[in-house]
Amino acid sequence: MSATPSSARPLLAIPRRIGLVVIALADQLGGAGMLLGQVLVRLRPRRIDRYELFRNLHRMGVRSLPIIAATAAFTGGIMVIQAAPFVEKYNAKNFVGWAATFTTFRELGPLLIALIFNGRVGANNTAELGTMKVTDQVDALRALAIDPVGYLVVPRVIAMVVMMVALCVIGDAVALGGAVLTADLLLDVDPRIFLSSALERLDTWDFLVGLIKSLLFGLMIALMSCYYGLATRGGAPGVGRAVNASVVASAAGVFVADYLSTFVLE
Amino acid sequence: MRSGLTRSIAALFEDAHQLGSLFGRTLYYLLHGKREKGSVARMMFEVGNKSLLFMCVTMGFIGAIIAFQTGLQAKKLVPDFSMIGATYLKLLVRDLAASLGALPLATRVGAGIAAELGSMVVTEQVDALRMCAADPVDYLVVPRFVASVVMGTVVLIIGGFVAYLAGMAVAQMVFDVNPHTFTNLSMVTTGDLTLGLFKCITYGGAIAIVSSQRGLATFGGSEGVGHATTEAVVGSCFAIIVLNLIISTLGYFFVPAL
Repeated sequence: MSATPSSARPLLAIPRRIGLVVIALADQLGGAGMLLGQVLVRLRPRRIDRYELFRNLHRMGVRSLPIIAATAAFTGGIMVIQAAPFVEKYNAKNFVGWAATFTTFRELGPLLIALIFNGRVGANNTAELGTMKVTDQVDALRALAIDPVGYLVVPRVIAMVVMMVALCVIGDAVALGGAVLTADLLLDVDPRIFLSSALERLDTWDFLVGLIKSLLFGLMIALMSCYYGLATRGGAPGVGRAVNASVVASAAGVFVADYLSTFVLE
Repeated sequence: MRSGLTRSIAALFEDAHQLGSLFGRTLYYLLHGKREKGSVARMMFEVGNKSLLFMCVTMGFIGAIIAFQTGLQAKKLVPDFSMIGATYLKLLVRDLAASLGALPLATRVGAGIAAELGSMVVTEQVDALRMCAADPVDYLVVPRFVASVVMGTVVLIIGGFVAYLAGMAVAQMVFDVNPHTFTNLSMVTTGDLTLGLFKCITYGGAIAIVSSQRGLATFGGSEGVGHATTEAVVGSCFAIIVLNLIISTLGYFFVPAL
């Protein structure tokens, strides 16, 4: 892009910008898709560095537990508060358990956990891979005949997908606790009534939809953050830019995946 | 030896103190500071115009999802969809447009602020400012705070509008609700609008303060900048969720919904 004809022809400036955006988008989506292919190829026969995998599982999952649990507890509380006016108006105390947990399990729980996970784990991951890239550590791996995708990317992708699902299960439980507590304190709904209403009207599918969604979100965050990390260029400022771009792209990816899966998993 | 729990509680109080102190200084300089000309406008462009497209896309998807879920839930309780538009609008105005929109906004704006301030800290530009007797809070934080409060509110309102349109499209396509029936403002009260606006303003301020604090506390080179960015995004999102619970509880008592 050495020549910039847009200044000479102002009429072409807008289509040119749109074209550049589309090309950049196609570039990033294609890059992330190819990374997915490379990861899948390395799963069979299994070539995963076990130490890296366990290190990442611990770092990404176990260390994110406090913030995820706190988020989930607040989410449960917020859902009850949002349902509260309707409960009071229609005196539907035996519906509040279902109303709060239905949305939390199916939609808000996985979504909010994914956004926090994206900020904590995804951004961190891009920063780490990006720093390795700009300090030539990735090339060093290659020079030692160690495959960077197998050594760096595959354990991270597996760890993020597994831990996202695990955190979603724990988050659902904590959110239920937060919702029960809020309903008891704010609306005087007995915890037993709350739980029986939730258990009666929810089926396993509502819970599973949340888990499938969090699996997709985990995969999305993992691919985006690894792709942007390995595509980092331009020294230390480049790492900052890569982290920024990765967080935004993952968030957008999570919303798109959420939209598609909501309609498919009715 | 102190246990991990004591240490993390101590860290929590430390964070709260730091944030409160930064907020106080920002308010002080907001009234007494001597700002660089044009910096607020530049930041507004950064925060507002540049995140508008991203916010419109995400809010469009969020709006479609919420409308779908609301419809699904309503179908199990009441057979008719005549009030779905009104209920949806009320939910959107009262809470969801601000609270759900603030999370992608925090991701976009918070990461940007922390990365920018963090790089300035590790390249010692902030120390250079201090050497020139210019307080970094006055020169760096105040413009970002003002821009985030004003443009954050604007972007969230536009996002809420996009979410409403997306919800209307979903209601028409999936549940066969006529757009005329869907456009029903009867359930939205002045209280709802006030509550929603208050949330937008609070979230905008929280994003700026949390991310600036994280950015200014950066240490340790380019890795430190990445770390600060991470903490800024997580911290802002968490602050939004906590503030949402507090404001919604207050709203439940003081701004009755029905």
